[in-house]
Amino acid sequence: MSSAIPTNPEQDALLRAGIDRSLRHPVMFFMTSGAAWLAVSILLGIVSSAKVHSPEFMAGCSWLTYGRVFPAHINAFIYGWGFQVAFAVIIWMTARLSRKECTASGLILTAGHIWNLGVSLGLVGIFAGFSTGMPWMEFPSFVWPVLLVSYFAIVIWSFIQFRVRPEGHVYISQWYILGAMVWFPWIFITANTLLHCLPGHPVMAAGINAWYKSALIFLFFTPVALGTAYYLAPKVTGRPVFSYSLAKLGFWSLAIIAPWAGMQKLAGAPIPYFLPYLGAAATVLLFIPMIAAAINLLRTMLASPEILSGSPSLRFTVAGIGGLIILAFSAVFLNLPDSTLPLTQFSMSSYGFEILALYGFFSFVMFGAVYFIVPRVTRREWLSRRLIKMHFLLSVYGVIVVALVALYGGLEQGKSQEDWQQPWQASATAYPYAVATTIAWCFILFSNVFFFLHLTLMWLRLGRRSSHPTLLAASHGHAVSPHGEDGDIDNAGPGYVSAH
Amino acid sequence: MSLTNQKPDLEDSINVTEAHGRVVREAAACARENRIVDNGIGHISLWSLVVCGIVAFIAGGVYFGSGAELFAYNTSFRPGYVRKPPGGAEDSGPVPKEALAAYMAKGSKIYSAKCNGCHGADAKGNGSTFPALAGGIWPNGETERFAMIILNGLEGPVDDGKTYGIMPPQGIGMAPEDLAGIMTYVRNNFGNTKGDVVTTEMAKAAIEMSAARKNAGKSVTGAELTADHMKNLPGEKMDPKMMLDPITLAPAKAP
Repeated sequence: MSSAIPTNPEQDALLRAGIDRSLRHPVMFFMTSGAAWLAVSILLGIVSSAKVHSPEFMAGCSWLTYGRVFPAHINAFIYGWGFQVAFAVIIWMTARLSRKECTASGLILTAGHIWNLGVSLGLVGIFAGFSTGMPWMEFPSFVWPVLLVSYFAIVIWSFIQFRVRPEGHVYISQWYILGAMVWFPWIFITANTLLHCLPGHPVMAAGINAWYKSALIFLFFTPVALGTAYYLAPKVTGRPVFSYSLAKLGFWSLAIIAPWAGMQKLAGAPIPYFLPYLGAAATVLLFIPMIAAAINLLRTMLASPEILSGSPSLRFTVAGIGGLIILAFSAVFLNLPDSTLPLTQFSMSSYGFEILALYGFFSFVMFGAVYFIVPRVTRREWLSRRLIKMHFLLSVYGVIVVALVALYGGLEQGKSQEDWQQPWQASATAYPYAVATTIAWCFILFSNVFFFLHLTLMWLRLGRRSSHPTLLAASHGHAVSPHGEDGDIDNAGPGYVSAH
Repeated sequence: MSLTNQKPDLEDSINVTEAHGRVVREAAACARENRIVDNGIGHISLWSLVVCGIVAFIAGGVYFGSGAELFAYNTSFRPGYVRKPPGGAEDSGPVPKEALAAYMAKGSKIYSAKCNGCHGADAKGNGSTFPALAGGIWPNGETERFAMIILNGLEGPVDDGKTYGIMPPQGIGMAPEDLAGIMTYVRNNFGNTKGDVVTTEMAKAAIEMSAARKNAGKSVTGAELTADHMKNLPGEKMDPKMMLDPITLAPAKAP
């Protein structure tokens, strides 16, 4: 079916521009509302973290008690930001990689609004006190079918595009994205039916819940982020992915290992004895897919340092892969029975691990994708290099503090919890770590408010009209104006400068 | 794929200027993109295989070292398990309590098990069949008389001439600590403020005395109480502020 693929680079560029145009509104809707939820979630994160070290903060407000703000924070992050930005990336990348325009953007947009409605109702339910009390599933139980149905309405078109794509190569990105699209309904339906429709023994329910959290990270957010990174790295640098065999190793080991992880949260609980240790061993083994993908992507991206210094997408992606490497080592380090595993059970370190995965890895790669996709779907360039740099630096500082303080402060906290002669209060609060977390969330909030504004301006098509990308550093060492060098504009044809 | 269109200006069907203009106007960002279809053939380096091997080894240790016993309930549920105190710290047992509080804590449990049903949670009784213990003369009076009623039960008219219901004996299987606890509890609660402790030693004497009664095994009557038991139990008085072990009621070791 080579006739379907225009061989002329200009026609090819127009085809891709047509695909981008067909998806402009759904993609921008998911990204912008996702960024808004991200800001909301971080605000709630600040409130809940502040309540840990100063409990009298906003104590008069019953709907802002810790038991409601904290679940609202993490659920807004996951279902408000994480899923929506993943939808944007999934629908855009599958359309691009299948080389098909999207014909259902109105339906996707509608389903996206229903998803947002579900998230809003769920959060109102949490604030009103109707939380289910199951971590990451706190939305009242009427919400999950709404989310599931709108999920299918959003991604089914990407399946269809994949089915009808012109014959040919299936890209590495497509393996991961298709995997994530299939695995998410599996884990979501399993966890929700087992916990809401067929409730069994409550201890086992806690185990299923822990499995759901782990599976959501490693079978949805991780493959989406890796698929995106495997798209961006060769696309922006212009180099092929470093090693195809390493990519295969990374994908299949993830697919095989990740479903077993999660139950280590219940080590020592009265469930069949092998389950927590199986979960711990699987989480340790997840080092392999994570490090395989990280090596592969870094070998691809770091080979072009001059592009890396200029491209916002690549800079965020590299930072995200850095987060992935820390995550991989933490997965090994936090799951050693009789040394670290007992310390993670009731301490902040599992929160640190989750934030590292969700923000330090997943969100950074997603920011990279946003900086890549938005100029294409809006046909405007990013307004300000400085806003992008601020977003990057504040986010990096913030997430390093949140994740590492919670991760390793959590281990210290666990140690003091094990010392049964200490009063519980002292170790439960972990005062200095909680203060550091609050300050770091403030940094992240600051960076993401600017990100949200920048993105909104882009959606309103107030970006720069130019054929030159907004780069973080001048290429070739000498300063150029954001509009390119003098007399340069008309020369910007196919293949003139590499993509950013 | 044919490559004939790679030189569009040689083909009449395309208006080069127009096409180029469209690309610049509408697809500048797309036109900048690279299209990469080939895959790298880099090898998986030896050191990364070694690192992954080490991690797999650790994971094997995690699973086979701890979890391989499948359903090993004997491992996770050790009968009679007592948690070891961590090194360097000595297990000093439960925190000592003042004598009065320690006895009352014991007594409150016995009260809710044995007395609550008739005399009520507030110990006011019901005025007809069940007399009030709150402010009652007998609970607040001589301890021997009070102990005999608890141990043996009570029937018939009492000394104010009233006849309440028949109280069944409560002493069967009652340990001296329990009797001491319940008496101290009633005498210092429900508005009663005697402020003294009925010690285990006194309660032990009461149980022996009760077993040695003339009509042992039968309930006491008002007349018998007035005749034989109008005195306090023998035994050394205890300072209500003395620190005791709350479980054994023995004097606590100095910390």
